[in-house]
Amino acid sequence: MKYAGEPEPFEFEPGPLIRPFAVTRGRAGKDLHELDIITLVVAVRPEADVAALDREYGDILRMCHQRPLSIAEISAKMGLLLAAVKVLVSDLISSGHLIFRSPPPPTSGRPDIKLLQAVLDGVRNL
Amino acid sequence: MAFETSDRSAGSPEMTGVRAVKLLVAGGFGVGKTTLVTAVSEIKPLRTEERLSAIGAGVDDLTGVERKTTTTVALDFGRITINSEVVLYLFGTPGQDRFWFMWKELSVGALGAVVLADTRRLEDSFGAIDFFESRGTPFIVAVNCFDGAEIYDEVEVRQALAIDDHVPVQLCDVRDRESSKRVLVRLLEYLMTVATAGAAAGTW
Ligand SMILES: Nc1nc2c(ncn2[C@@H]2O[C@H](COP(=O)(O)OP(=O)(O)OP(=O)(O)O)[C@@H](O)[C@H]2O)c(=O)[nH]1
Ligand SMILES: [Mg+2]
Repeated sequence: MKYAGEPEPFEFEPGPLIRPFAVTRGRAGKDLHELDIITLVVAVRPEADVAALDREYGDILRMCHQRPLSIAEISAKMGLLLAAVKVLVSDLISSGHLIFRSPPPPTSGRPDIKLLQAVLDGVRNL
Repeated sequence: MAFETSDRSAGSPEMTGVRAVKLLVAGGFGVGKTTLVTAVSEIKPLRTEERLSAIGAGVDDLTGVERKTTTTVALDFGRITINSEVVLYLFGTPGQDRFWFMWKELSVGALGAVVLADTRRLEDSFGAIDFFESRGTPFIVAVNCFDGAEIYDEVEVRQALAIDDHVPVQLCDVRDRESSKRVLVRLLEYLMTVATAGAAAGTW
């Protein structure tokens, strides 16, 4: 839902990256990229960039460097609330540092039998 | 591995095919949810928190101001890497009844759930069963056999919990990795059955 006077989404106004505290204060609950607790993210921009960013952003990029991590894992590793991590990750997606994959919306049809089979096989092989 | 082309998840094109799925582990306080997640997870289970503020139920009579209360809900979860593209997360739901709104959020998109039950206090799992039945989330019941607890058989548990005949009931010891694995396998087999039956009947 959109209210009058609400600031424009980040994409249209790529200002400087803001400190998480300020960011979460101002934008908690507004998930710019519809991030879910199990949305996976991977860092794509070179490490050299990281030094220029605030510490929390750098931490996220480093932990997502090698393989996809979920919002839940980032939250646990950083000791930050889910809501705060969603905001930080949104910023990094908008700035092109992270790419992401969110689960399909729940309305998108029948269960994926091939996917279930893959998960079943994976658990059997544990 | 290629999955359905109808991958409508939101995200970056580079990550098409990569996906995370989740299963929930629910049940009353201290029934063994975290123990089950620990037994099968490839990582030491992690804890994430969400702070929730809710307007207090009543309005303060003296000031007429609504009281805002803040609660932190903790979720334990583990991870199992299925293959190069699929990651499975297992979330233990908060044990307390008053945190069900968090379950609601968690249950969206969940493949299915395990309801853990303790035969010494089966009634503690009624809430979870009602919840998943009402949300249409497929689940199985796993009875965690604590030491010294009287062992009931599947039929007795099924009757006591008044669950549908098609819902699997499995006895387990969640401290044992193989036993916990079998619980997940049973759930996933059940999910396959439900999905296949639904597809055949044209439900979807
Ligand atoms: N003897 C025995 N103890 C168990 C078994 N399963 C769990 N426990 C113990 O019971 C206690 C509670 O287990 P947890 O896994 O923390 O339970 P939980 O459902 O996550 O608890 P909450 O998150 O507090 O609701 C722990 O001390 C476990 O070691 C079991 O099968 N047998
Ligand atoms: Mg627990």
